[in-house]
Amino acid sequence: MFSFAQQNAVEPMQVDAPAEDNDNTEEEPYIVENPTLDLEVYANSYAGLAKLFRLMYIADHCPTLRIEALKMAITYVMTTYNVSLYLILHKKLAQALSAPGLPDVAAQSTSQDIPIVDQIWVDSRSKKAALKLEKFDTDLKNYKSNSIKESIRRGHDDLGDHYLDCGDLGNALKCYSRARDYCTSGKHVVNMCWNVLKVSIYLQNWTHVISYVTKAQNTPDFPDVHGKDNNLAIVTKLKIAAGLAELATRKYKSAAKLFLQASLDHCDFPEILSPGNIALYGGLCALATFDRHELQKQVIFSSSFKLFLELEPQLRDIIFKFYESKYASCLKLLDEIKDNILLDMYIAPHVNTLYLQIRNRALIQYFSPYLSADMRRMATAFNRTVSALEDELMQLILDGQIQARIDSHNKILYAKDVDQRSTTFEKSISLGKEYRRRTRMLILRAAILKHQIQVKSPQRETTQGGEMPVAPGNTSQTSRN
Amino acid sequence: MIKDIDKFLSDLEKGELETADGLPHSQMYSQLLAIYLFQNELCYAKYLWKRIPINIKNSCSDVRSIWTVAQKMWQRDWPAVHIALNVEWNKNVADIMNALKERIRERAIILISEAYSSLDITTLAKMIGLSPEESRKIAIEKGWHVVGTIIKPHKIYKQQTSSTVEAITEEQLYKLTQFVSFLEN
Amino acid sequence: MASALEQFVNNVRALTAEENFRELSSVLTKFNDVLKKNVQHLDNVLETLDLQQHSIGILAVLCAKFSDFNFVSVTMEVFKPLFNQVQEFIVGCNGEQVRLVPDMYAELCHHFTDALVEVKMPIRGIDLLCRAIRKIQLYDSQLTSIHGDLCKLCLLAKCFKPALEFLDIDITGISTDDDAKYFLLYFYYGGMIYTALKNYERALYFFEVCVMTPATAVSHIMLEAYKKYILVSLILNGKIILLPNYTSNLVKRHIKRLSIPYQELATAYSTNSCDDVQEIIEKYQEVFVRDNNIGLVKQVLSFLYKKNIQRLTNTFLTLSLSDVAARVKLPGPADAEQYILNMIEDGEIFATINQKDGMVIFHDDPEKYDSPRMLAKLEKEMAECAELGKKVLEMEEEVIVTPQYVRKACGQNDPDDQAAGPPPTNVSNAQSQPKHNTYTM
Repeated sequence: MFSFAQQNAVEPMQVDAPAEDNDNTEEEPYIVENPTLDLEVYANSYAGLAKLFRLMYIADHCPTLRIEALKMAITYVMTTYNVSLYLILHKKLAQALSAPGLPDVAAQSTSQDIPIVDQIWVDSRSKKAALKLEKFDTDLKNYKSNSIKESIRRGHDDLGDHYLDCGDLGNALKCYSRARDYCTSGKHVVNMCWNVLKVSIYLQNWTHVISYVTKAQNTPDFPDVHGKDNNLAIVTKLKIAAGLAELATRKYKSAAKLFLQASLDHCDFPEILSPGNIALYGGLCALATFDRHELQKQVIFSSSFKLFLELEPQLRDIIFKFYESKYASCLKLLDEIKDNILLDMYIAPHVNTLYLQIRNRALIQYFSPYLSADMRRMATAFNRTVSALEDELMQLILDGQIQARIDSHNKILYAKDVDQRSTTFEKSISLGKEYRRRTRMLILRAAILKHQIQVKSPQRETTQGGEMPVAPGNTSQTSRN
Repeated sequence: MIKDIDKFLSDLEKGELETADGLPHSQMYSQLLAIYLFQNELCYAKYLWKRIPINIKNSCSDVRSIWTVAQKMWQRDWPAVHIALNVEWNKNVADIMNALKERIRERAIILISEAYSSLDITTLAKMIGLSPEESRKIAIEKGWHVVGTIIKPHKIYKQQTSSTVEAITEEQLYKLTQFVSFLEN
Repeated sequence: MASALEQFVNNVRALTAEENFRELSSVLTKFNDVLKKNVQHLDNVLETLDLQQHSIGILAVLCAKFSDFNFVSVTMEVFKPLFNQVQEFIVGCNGEQVRLVPDMYAELCHHFTDALVEVKMPIRGIDLLCRAIRKIQLYDSQLTSIHGDLCKLCLLAKCFKPALEFLDIDITGISTDDDAKYFLLYFYYGGMIYTALKNYERALYFFEVCVMTPATAVSHIMLEAYKKYILVSLILNGKIILLPNYTSNLVKRHIKRLSIPYQELATAYSTNSCDDVQEIIEKYQEVFVRDNNIGLVKQVLSFLYKKNIQRLTNTFLTLSLSDVAARVKLPGPADAEQYILNMIEDGEIFATINQKDGMVIFHDDPEKYDSPRMLAKLEKEMAECAELGKKVLEMEEEVIVTPQYVRKACGQNDPDDQAAGPPPTNVSNAQSQPKHNTYTM
């Protein structure tokens, strides 16, 4: 039983792991030069590994904030048992300080400011962590010998919590998922799911995230497991987790829908996200994927999401400008916040795609009421040169997003009038062609099956005869044209 | 020969396959090649060239000059096609090659009428293989606008042989009447 | 020795006289060795038999002669007597009789083909094989294993027209059972012939048949067909058309792995960048040359230029020739003009060039679907569709009345059936049945 549960928890991860890895390596390294971020305030909105990971992300991508971020991270990591991360952070800091081209301010203060590795802390922490681990382990063994389900479940959870605190995500995940077999109520199941979800988010194993969200939602009597209020909190958590996974797998529209369902009053999980993040992710994804009607109904008139937008006034302005068709200022504002967004670990890889989609949506909406539009005026409205705009429009037309044609000679964009009659004829003719092709193939295939034509594995001796017959006929292909 | 060209062609093709012992002679190949060009079957022409025995390629100048035309047609290098066509042809292919010359010029004129709203007279002259003066005459004959050296062609619609069109329409009219009466009842 | 041959002749004569051909064909297999051992006397044997009356006997003798014939570095002169005998036989034999021994008849044709390939006179066999096929076919749309030989000779002779007479007919039946090699070869060679003649649509169909043939192993023919399938698919559609879902899973699984250069070419093609495609072509030059596909690969590139111009016609009303050249990466406006001119003539785009301003004006398809010609075309196509639909219905009815189908459909599981495994016909019926659903539109 035990080993089965273990397998169950680990196996899907192993299968998925390479795929996720690929996703991450696709990211191109980039550097953010001029963020306007208050690191202190930023860091305070997060707790636990979320805080550490985010600070490290900033350190990796922003040289100006690198040292400050690392120091902050080191201070924080000392409140945990994550000794290995402590050492990694120190190594990074040492590298950052020794790197040439440091800002002058930092250079002056180096002498007294270099934090040295606190070996005593490292040793005592490691020892304490080991002691704690041993204690939880023995506890769990005792519980098991008494076979009290509830205690075993808690034992697993405690052990998982401890591993998480040490930064050992793999073991934490194992422990949390082992608790699954000892859940006696829906509440426990949901709780187990959330624990697994948290770790999976840290591991960025998004397929795992999705499957555990579904698992939690499919728990029998899920809606009334907790008090009504508490329930909203759980729902929000699950929506956010799913939203993150959808965002990471580039399903922006469903990500937007999920983030938009969050409730601000129940949005208290600094170990994952801040409410401001939800506003940002939801807002950007919605802008990039919603049509005007959806944007109005689900974002601008949404009383619950309005509260989120209050947290990010710049983003709120962007959405409203977009809705008011003031595209130039909307795009300008977007550019202003771009540097800060690029320091957000979850949305940064998608910023360029989302921005492009938002721009395209703006272009489409701009042109939608017109039969013809002067491209020179359009170019000013979008801060572009006419020829750059021409390229953008060409792409949109090719993608079928704008039904129009460009008069490059006079620089005018004309809406294309589609002749329904002709297109219907065209479609039916090609459909007829396809039908005939397929039906012929069907008849032939029936004959094939009837006569048992089948390629069989060659017996070794006859390979030559049965399998290599193409040689002479091939020659006629050599020169063509 | 030109009138019954399909029959002539299939005879030649059959001849090529059935030639029993003696190798097929060069006249047959040059005629076959010429007919393929006349019918604009460039693929067939290309592969025919590839299977013509090397000694015939060497000995028969007709085959070689027809092949030059074929190559230029393949590249659709209009001026070069006309130049390649302007050779004295042997009697047994002269008919076809001269007909081809006419056909190519017709094709070029139709293409020009479709593809250009305005073009320079030298382009026209090169594409139809005539001197600028002759080309101007043809343009005027077709009723195209000639302004200085610029020519503005009108579209020429390819005419269908009227008899077949009528034959089709009568049958179709009957069917259409049936459709309509079906819809109305 | 001679007595054994005499016995053979007597057997042939006696059984033919009795018209007991079934017995005859089984007797013949027994004499196979005898014939092979006495090759030098076989011509005498032939003289004692009558072409019309003893077609089967003569067939057996000719096959035996071939089995002894040493093809390696043979000249036409040496082969000539045998060639003449085969010719005489195929022209003069009794069709009804040879149809009783289709395998032996096909064997003779295979040998004959191989010999002609060896003596490098493939064109000499084309006419004869056409006759051979006609003779043994029960109906025009029946595929025989000789079809593949004919296509092979046509390919080698570079003379395609005779093969087209057969290729253009859609196959509805097959003369021999369980003969995947010649089946695949026919569709592979056929695809190559259509490709050479630039009938890409038909070529794609033929290559697709190759790849979708049921399989428990990936044959080399399938693999080569798939490579060409990719290239032709790119030329026609600009992307790889997905294989039908009844393609064997095994093939689907392995074939991609075995055609990576082609897959990469398709990926590069999908970016519409001629430079990317060129890069891949250079990267895998050797592979493409080795596969004898380099010509076709170059066609793919030149079609990309065309496709890019077509894309322009969908987005622009007017564009200068130099812009066209710049956007599709052609060297200069003159090249762009040439491309556009050719495409207009082929009806691939609708445009007019204004040489005075150096502009191109793109138009919509002027077809208004209101001409009698179009109506006639539509009617013809509708009739074809109806005809095909009828054919499928007929086939379905045929299947429905088979006992096996009835048993299965009624859900009565015959215990015998299960013990022995389902009979072969049952399998084919069961599999062809659900396909009707996928195909009805």
